[in-house]
Amino acid sequence: MVSVINTVDTSHEDMIHDAQMDYYGTRLATCSSDRSVKIFDVKNGGQILVADLRGHEGPVWQVAWAHPTYGNILASCSYDRKVIIWKEENGTWDKMYKYTGHNSSVNSICWGPYEFGLILACGSSDGAISILTYTGDGQWDIKKINNAHTIGCNAVSWAPAVVPGSLIDQPTGQKPLYIKRFVSGGCDNLVKLWKEEDGQWKEDQKLEAHSDWVRDVGWAPSIGLTTSTIASCSQDGRVFIWTCDDPSGNTWTAKLLHKFNDVVWHVSWSITGNILAVSGGDNKVTLWKESVDGQWSCISDVNKSQGGLSSITDTQQNEQ
Amino acid sequence: MAARWTSENEVVEFRDAQATAMSVDCLGHHAVLSGRRFLYVVNLETPSEAPRKIGRQSKWDVGTVQWNPHRAEAHLFAASSNQRVDLYVWRDGCGEAHNSLQGHTRVISDLDWSWFEPEYLVTSSVDTYIYIWDTRDTRKPTVALSAVAGASQVKWNRRNQNCLASSHDGDVRIWDRRKPNTAVEYVAAHLSKIHGLDWHPDNEYILATSSQDNSVRFWDYRQPRKYLNILSCQVPVWKARYTPFSNGLVTVMVPQLRRENSLLLWSTLDLNSPVHAFVGHDDVVLEFQWRPQKEGSKDCQLVTWSRDQTLRIWRVDPQLQKLCANDIVEELMEGMTLTTESEKTLRSPDSEPPLSPSLTVDNSQGQIESLQSGLLSSGRQDSPGLPQTLQQEFSLVNLQIRNVNVEMDALNRTCFVSAHCGVNQVRLVVKFPAQYPNNAAPSFQFVPPTNISSSMKTKIQKILTDTSLQKVKRNQNCLEPCVRQLVSCLESDMEDGTNPHAFANSVTPALPAFPRVTNTYGSYQDANIPFPRTSGARFFGTGSLVYFTRPMSMHRTVPPAEPTPRSLSALSAYHSGLMTPMKMRSESQTSLRLYSGSPTRTDKEHVSISSFYYKERKPPLSAPRRWSVQTIHDCPKSRRWKGKREGTDYGNRPIKLAGKVIIQEISCLLPIHKALAETYVLNVNDIHDTCQKNAAAALAVGRRDLAKVWALASAATSQDLCPDSDPDANTPWARHPFGRKLLATLIEHYSHLSDVQSLAMLCSVFRGQGSPQDFFTLYGPRSSGFTLHHSRYPSYTSSSVTSGSCSSTSDSTSTNWNPTGRESEQVPPWGESSPDDYRYANQLYTDPREREKEQHDMNKRLLDPANTLQFDDFKKCYGEILYRWGLKEKRAEVLKFVSCPPEPHKGVEFGVYCCHCRSQARGTQCAVCKRFTFQCAICHVAVRGSSNFCLSCGHGGHTSHMMEWFRSQEVCPTGCGCHCLLQSTF
Repeated sequence: MVSVINTVDTSHEDMIHDAQMDYYGTRLATCSSDRSVKIFDVKNGGQILVADLRGHEGPVWQVAWAHPTYGNILASCSYDRKVIIWKEENGTWDKMYKYTGHNSSVNSICWGPYEFGLILACGSSDGAISILTYTGDGQWDIKKINNAHTIGCNAVSWAPAVVPGSLIDQPTGQKPLYIKRFVSGGCDNLVKLWKEEDGQWKEDQKLEAHSDWVRDVGWAPSIGLTTSTIASCSQDGRVFIWTCDDPSGNTWTAKLLHKFNDVVWHVSWSITGNILAVSGGDNKVTLWKESVDGQWSCISDVNKSQGGLSSITDTQQNEQ
Repeated sequence: MAARWTSENEVVEFRDAQATAMSVDCLGHHAVLSGRRFLYVVNLETPSEAPRKIGRQSKWDVGTVQWNPHRAEAHLFAASSNQRVDLYVWRDGCGEAHNSLQGHTRVISDLDWSWFEPEYLVTSSVDTYIYIWDTRDTRKPTVALSAVAGASQVKWNRRNQNCLASSHDGDVRIWDRRKPNTAVEYVAAHLSKIHGLDWHPDNEYILATSSQDNSVRFWDYRQPRKYLNILSCQVPVWKARYTPFSNGLVTVMVPQLRRENSLLLWSTLDLNSPVHAFVGHDDVVLEFQWRPQKEGSKDCQLVTWSRDQTLRIWRVDPQLQKLCANDIVEELMEGMTLTTESEKTLRSPDSEPPLSPSLTVDNSQGQIESLQSGLLSSGRQDSPGLPQTLQQEFSLVNLQIRNVNVEMDALNRTCFVSAHCGVNQVRLVVKFPAQYPNNAAPSFQFVPPTNISSSMKTKIQKILTDTSLQKVKRNQNCLEPCVRQLVSCLESDMEDGTNPHAFANSVTPALPAFPRVTNTYGSYQDANIPFPRTSGARFFGTGSLVYFTRPMSMHRTVPPAEPTPRSLSALSAYHSGLMTPMKMRSESQTSLRLYSGSPTRTDKEHVSISSFYYKERKPPLSAPRRWSVQTIHDCPKSRRWKGKREGTDYGNRPIKLAGKVIIQEISCLLPIHKALAETYVLNVNDIHDTCQKNAAAALAVGRRDLAKVWALASAATSQDLCPDSDPDANTPWARHPFGRKLLATLIEHYSHLSDVQSLAMLCSVFRGQGSPQDFFTLYGPRSSGFTLHHSRYPSYTSSSVTSGSCSSTSDSTSTNWNPTGRESEQVPPWGESSPDDYRYANQLYTDPREREKEQHDMNKRLLDPANTLQFDDFKKCYGEILYRWGLKEKRAEVLKFVSCPPEPHKGVEFGVYCCHCRSQARGTQCAVCKRFTFQCAICHVAVRGSSNFCLSCGHGGHTSHMMEWFRSQEVCPTGCGCHCLLQSTF
């Protein structure tokens, strides 16, 4: 049964740009044009404001929780060209690190899989992508991919810490060697895949299909299948699903999920990687599911399955 | 479209024009677009009509095209193409080339018609000459200016018929055509190439240069060493041209960059941020020109041609023009003299141009002085940029201020201002004296129902008087600034008191002032920044969907059919609108609601994403300007505004800009079930029972498919099908179509469903299935099947500490340490590397029976051993999900079935080398020198089995001997003097 389990009134003074839950689903972080980041305790349907983090000097575009292995860590990125990493210690949130290496608005941040340690990718409108790696003792190692996307980078998303293609080809008895990979989307209408080789980040693939700025990319979580999947969405209203069955990861095929009438801003994968949530400028959220024969269909507008899930935006309308 | 208040009037696409240059004629009737094959003449009155074409035969693109700027010769235009200039006549809807000017030996970079003599034309070329042509005699140029360096631009002075300027890389030269041998003045203007040059329309000494070095500089060529002012852009500037109206400047970026497709309008009086951006072109702007105004029209029109193959005509109305003449007079004074409109008024437009620069120096300096004094004194009566009458001010004033209601009565020169903030109410009568705004301030008087304290009244009175005096001193209107001051004063007073609706446990410090970087918010740099998301949805954890949307009451200001803009620069229109009274002129101004200011801020220049959206809960259309308390109460009550909030608090927290964040449970959509995870069992000792219990569990949650699968699993794991250990007996069940193949099909099916739960459970059950003893051997001492490699490298135990010798002791041997074979590659770093292991490894598969047996072991398995790693991954992923569900014991049960391949090798590697000949050895005897590869230091016998070495000196021997020796000794038994116990970590 699809049900609203909580409705959080953030009291932000301006529009919200992102909302993210932590690993355990107990805390919600939101960020807004009012330059603040707020953290709410949402356990058991509650909504207690835990922290109101001020430090950005412009609208905050995105927040991201690190894996709890490393403590309660939240990163935020803003129009003010900064990335701030916040850490909770003894119940109080403080700046752990402030990264100021970009020359324009930082639009997207994403923590890497916990297997790689604390590693954060940041995409900025100056066209560069920064990869920040915590090296201990409060030190961060910074690698920057300059001109990753001409004009600007709008989104980054890490690949899961497996190399799905090579799972079955590995010599038995050898643990698969994890390769750090992520995907990015930018104003050059491209989706690009990046790979770390010998400590250097290299462009691995360039995926072309969109006819306008790519606004979000999402690498699907792995459940051990041999296929890698990426979703990308764009200003042109199109959402593409990219899949790669090739063990070497070189041949990606695009499949058009849907063409929306307005810009699509967000794509997000469910934990099993078979449902995609899509949202955009039309203020609607739709859920898409892949059937056994590989076809994608919208499941959120129809009364279906055990619950009778009505359109999510309708639900909110009732809330208001 | 009201929101996009300077949107282009006309957009016409000429898809195949491929034009490189464009020009608008002096009558404003035609624009010529120059493509490679045709010249297109567009009628600007009816631009959507198909353009007339003039064919041309040239393999060169047109470099520059320009209409003759004289009305009498308005039918003529010149187009340069490579080394020649073609002169065209346009009459009665058709045109033809009637002449050409040939003389340059290299490509022509620019051409310009004289402003004074209709026959004269100047051309510049990279051949280093600048030619002035008399079009009546086309055989050769009348004047040749020798520049030595190639010129990229040449422009006639607009006020002096003999003066012209050319640009050469980063330099500008000023020429007097009567002195062709040398330039009159050199200006080292830029460090990089100058792309554009433009003379000031009214001042003969001032020109603007735009350059690759990301700046536009303004020069008085009489002071060539120091620029008058600089406009810093973030990108190279292609062209910067003065506007036909005062103090404006339009810039475009270098086309090759393809970064910024907007034209920017600047006020030369304030170069900090552009006044306006003409947003619309999808590709870079190649050319822009002003279309001469029609008689009686106050609007200016900008005609632009872009690489997106569209011609756009933009209207620039008087209000926008006025923005260029803003009121920052102080900055003007600091920044030295940029001409203002007062200078224009001093000089009659058709005044006789001075004959030579030298003659006019004194005169013009006098002008500048008079300009300064004119600005300082209060006698400037005719400031065309400012409203003249009170009526005008009232009609233009922007009073979309929250909680303020202004009733204006221009006839009686009064207005009533009612403001409401929290419990405070203020009503003011403002009376405007007859001379207002020329150094005559209005009076302010409080009238009932004002309920603020008298000290507050005094404070406000003083603020209002100060503000108004400040403005009228400069003969400027003061109503709007005064009202805004009043509101901010009231609001700050409110905040001093306690705010009853502050979040209970939030300590919210005052927001810091918006720093410099954000002042450019909505400026052209934002063209790269994507338009912010105002709604979004993300999956979290195992079954939550978190989403936020705009509040339902907020709608977009633009029609829904129009897509959301892609970049933040689209906001610049709203930004400018916010600071100016512009939006008031539009009749549908309700569509431009700027609820940008948050309750805690009164910064009226703050622009926010919310500017793009407007609220449903707006005041009635009949009284659009009355944003007063009354109208708020007229609004339909919303459920959210309960009790006391409705009244007094409404002013403080007007309308929510942030929607709610909703967390939704969507786990029913996922193929995995927490309930199943809780009831599933994994009992290796009784697989059959496990399957039956799991089938029942699946039925209980309604997964009938899974119930059948568990029934199948139960059948497949039946004891009857237990494979024989003898390879020669029957084919194992796994080879049967219902064996491994069936299972593979099931796995494929659940892979398609992404049902990692079923996958992991099936893999675990079948991993444990078959021969239970086989399963246990994985963890037991005996090796079998594909796990053979485990036994070759027995796991490290803490009792066997160090063995092997260290590779880093000798450089000469270091290369030898590199693994050469498969065996050595897999030598564990800290194992009991008895040479016996190697022998065993060497003998791998030598026995055909063993080989067959191994093959048989593989065949017995229902799960394809080739995919073991993938199956492990299912279990790990499921384990992760179980962890998130908090089912840690279930997770441990599943993870028990994960095979554990050795860690990939890292760090130091050990091998065995003969201590005599240094060759790599296998076994106890060196194959090369036939001596014992490794002798025990105590008993001098070759060592087999457990051994220990010193990492420092390399000596060692049987573990038992070493233990005994070092129980009493500290130095090496060989007598080498090494303190083995200290050096190594025994």
